[in-house]
Parts: sequence; C-alpha cells; structure tokens
Amino acid sequence: MILDLHTHSDASDDSRAPVETYLKWLARKRDVLPIDGIVLTEHRQWNPAQDYRRLEDHYGILILRGAEVETDYGHVLVYGVNADITRRFDFSDVRLAAQEVITAVTHMGGIALPCHPGRPTIGLCAHYATKPPIEGVVAVEALNGGSRRGENERVQHLIERYGYRAVGGSDSHLVSHIGICATEFDRDIHDVEELVQALHAGGYRPVDFRNGLRQGAR
Amino acid sequence: MPGSDFEHIDVGHELQPLRLTLTPEQVRRYAISARIPAGRFLNDEAARLEGLPGQIAPGNMSMAFFSRLLRESFPGTRLKRLSATFRVPVRPNQPLTVRGVVTEKHATDHGDFIECDLVLESEDGERWVTGTASVHVPPSSEA
Amino acid sequence: MTVSFDRSIIGREFDHTELEPITAEEILEFIAVTGETEPPPALADLVAPPTFVVRVRGQRFVPPNLAGVTSGLDAGKDIEFGVPIRPGDVLTSVSTVHDIYEKTGRSGIMSFVVLRTVVTNQRGEQVAVIDQRMMFR
Repeated sequence: MILDLHTHSDASDDSRAPVETYLKWLARKRDVLPIDGIVLTEHRQWNPAQDYRRLEDHYGILILRGAEVETDYGHVLVYGVNADITRRFDFSDVRLAAQEVITAVTHMGGIALPCHPGRPTIGLCAHYATKPPIEGVVAVEALNGGSRRGENERVQHLIERYGYRAVGGSDSHLVSHIGICATEFDRDIHDVEELVQALHAGGYRPVDFRNGLRQGAR
Repeated sequence: MPGSDFEHIDVGHELQPLRLTLTPEQVRRYAISARIPAGRFLNDEAARLEGLPGQIAPGNMSMAFFSRLLRESFPGTRLKRLSATFRVPVRPNQPLTVRGVVTEKHATDHGDFIECDLVLESEDGERWVTGTASVHVPPSSEA
Repeated sequence: MTVSFDRSIIGREFDHTELEPITAEEILEFIAVTGETEPPPALADLVAPPTFVVRVRGQRFVPPNLAGVTSGLDAGKDIEFGVPIRPGDVLTSVSTVHDIYEKTGRSGIMSFVVLRTVVTNQRGEQVAVIDQRMMFR
C-alpha cells in the first residue's frame, strides 16, 4: 500500500491545493502515481472537526490527517493526533521542544517523525551538527518532494549512523505535486491507528515517482 | 477561446512553456513601471548595498510572466485569480522557464473555469516561484 | 531576534488613497517590460494586463505602528481580479492588516504580516483584492 505521508491542502498558509482537487488529480494519474492514500499534514494547526469521509468514499482514496509542527530541531510530522496531544502542545508555537514532542507524542499513542532532515535550519541534519541527537526517533523523512538538490541525499548519513527507518512524502503545496514521493507499506492501512502501528513496526520504504517512473529512494 | 475549445482541455494538459532570460535593463524598467524602484531591483551596486549578491527581479514580475503564460495559452479568457509564492529571488541574466499545467476544470452558469498550477524554474529545474491561477472562459456567446 | 507584532492591529485600516488617473503610457510601458509579444490594441481598446494592478500603492505601504519596521520582503501574493483597468481610471486603494503569523524556514524564524488591499475604480467597481505576504526577520 502506498501513502503520501506529507501533504498540505489550502488549509495551510502556503498551499493553494483543495483536497478534492488532489483526489481528482490522483484519480486521473493512477497509471504514473499509484497512490492509495494521502495524509494531510497541515502547518502548525489541527482541526478536530475536519471530516473527509465523503471524499474518501467518492474517490476511493484513503485520506488521513496529521500535522507538521515546528521545533528546536526543525519540522516534525505528527501522526495520531488526539486531544491529549493537542492539550499538551500548541501546534501554532514555532518553538516547540523536539525531544518533548517525540517522547510525549509516542506516550500519548501517536508518532512524530522529523521531516526534510536535510533542509538547512529546519532539518535534523543541521541541528545534529551542534546538538545531541533526539532520543526515540523511529524514522525520518528521507525522501521529500519539495527538497532542493542535495537535501535528500544528505539524510542517508543520518539514517546509517542512527539506524533510523526512512519514509517518503511529497510535501505538496500544489495539486500537481501530490504523490511525487511517497511511502510503500508492506501491510494494508485503513486508519490513523494502523498507520501509527505500521510506522512503529517497520516494513516500509520511500518510493519516488518524480520522473514518471517508480524508483526506490537512494 | 471558444467554449468548444474548453472541452478539449484535459486535466494534466501542460501549457507551452515560456522560456526567457531577463536583462538587467528589463528588470530596472519593470521596477520603475511597477512603482517599486527599490535599489535591489535597479542594479547590482544598489542591491549589494542592501546586502544582496546582486540585482534581483521583483516578485511581481514573476506574476506578470504567469499572467502572460496564461493569456498566450488561453486567448480570449480572463484571469480571475492568481497566487504566487516567491521562494528564491529571481536574478537577471539567468535562463528561466515558466510552466503551467491544468489541474481542474469546471463548468458554471457564468462560464467555465480552468485551474492551473504554475512554476517559474531555473535552468536546472529548481522552483523559484510557484503559483496557481483560475481562468474564466466566457460562454460561447461572448467569445 | 525575530520581530514580534501586536495581533490587535488585525482588521485595522491603515491606508486609504485615491491615485492619479491611469494613463495609456503607463499601461503601454508595463506591457512592454513584461515582454508581451503581440502589438497592443488601439488606445480606445487598451486594457491593462491583470498584474498591472500590483503597482497600485497607497501612501502607506505598511501600517505605521508595525513594531518599528518600515519594510520587509515580499513573500508572495494572492490576487482576485475584478473589472479591468483602462486609461483614465481613477483607482482607490484601501489597505488593512489581514493576518499575522510566525513560521520557520530555511532562513530561520520569520514573522509574516498579510496586508489586504482592495482596489476600486471611479465607478465603485472592484478592480482587485490583493493579499500581500510580507516577511520580516
């Protein structure tokens, strides 16, 4: 099963992509983008009332939700957001403590993964150069569709040194960028709880569809 | 663009790209014409005084090229909405490509609409400006 | 150190300016510098390209009480277009602070102020609504 784990709809301040238009695009591009589902990871926010089940049923594409928050070690994707997590962390705060986020989100039933680790300032690699590593990191986003040349490649060293697993996501802010990078899971995933379990357990890898052909992440 | 042509535009249709290289003089003239004659848009020396490596083009200029791409791709239509994010400063004397792709089309009682993603990219494909647009295709009776 | 803005200024109008009439020469120069390849129409049919509206600037570009800053970097725009601009049009711009937020990026923590400008012509018709994202560090 292939999921794009990192996407932004027009609910994020710098995206202009309506969710339904994402799904229409994926439905038309299935031959080159075999994406089974997307995870909406809006910037610095969480809306508990948002419900995409009607769109899921209409387009046959799984829609899950997470969030992208900002910490002292860069940006982090949070999956399995629940009331306990949102009571503990103000997602609009751009100065969250990464170690607290990673540890507490795990204890509260979710999982937090550093995203675009190779990106300057807001990626893990830059911070690991001068600060101790974060405890409890299970996986990092080794393949990010919005990263610039060299930024994804920089992550390999991190993965090898610390034994992190690797995921992929498009980081799409435009409709036409959805699904260009994603994560392939060995198991089926039907909801956020199963996603969190799968990310903890392993059995997944980044996949790259940027050139119109499926490629594994280098 | 007559209403009948709208039906032949598919989601995924890629617009014929615009390829251009801005000259320093063109950037300077645009900045003056657009009433933003800040030093960084006028010449390299003034830009360096502002801490930049050299002259840059105003973000608005990129939007003008998005608008031009859409007008040339869909003649007879009217631009209803245009958005842009200025990710990296655009500098003169560097080959640029302005691309667009149709992401949505929908028909209404007031005419049809085409939605596009837009990108201004460098010679090596780095996305310097990204954007979206909504283009109104008037009914055939008004074409 | 990042700039900190007072969110109570959101919604507050900070500029209301009536501009000098638009001239055909201004429109033609704008067309020329954006590389339009078709010859412009006759003056009677001359209409400004849509993005011509970005040159509409009031007397104040940022609110006067914006934490001591007077200029930032243009991070992007969202423009809704209304009726076209023609020579002779007298435009009025009204600007308010639409939103304020922080985010982090490659260059560190940034403060964003979204300035909304509504442009109307002498007939009261809406020409454009421009949301400009200004970035401050």
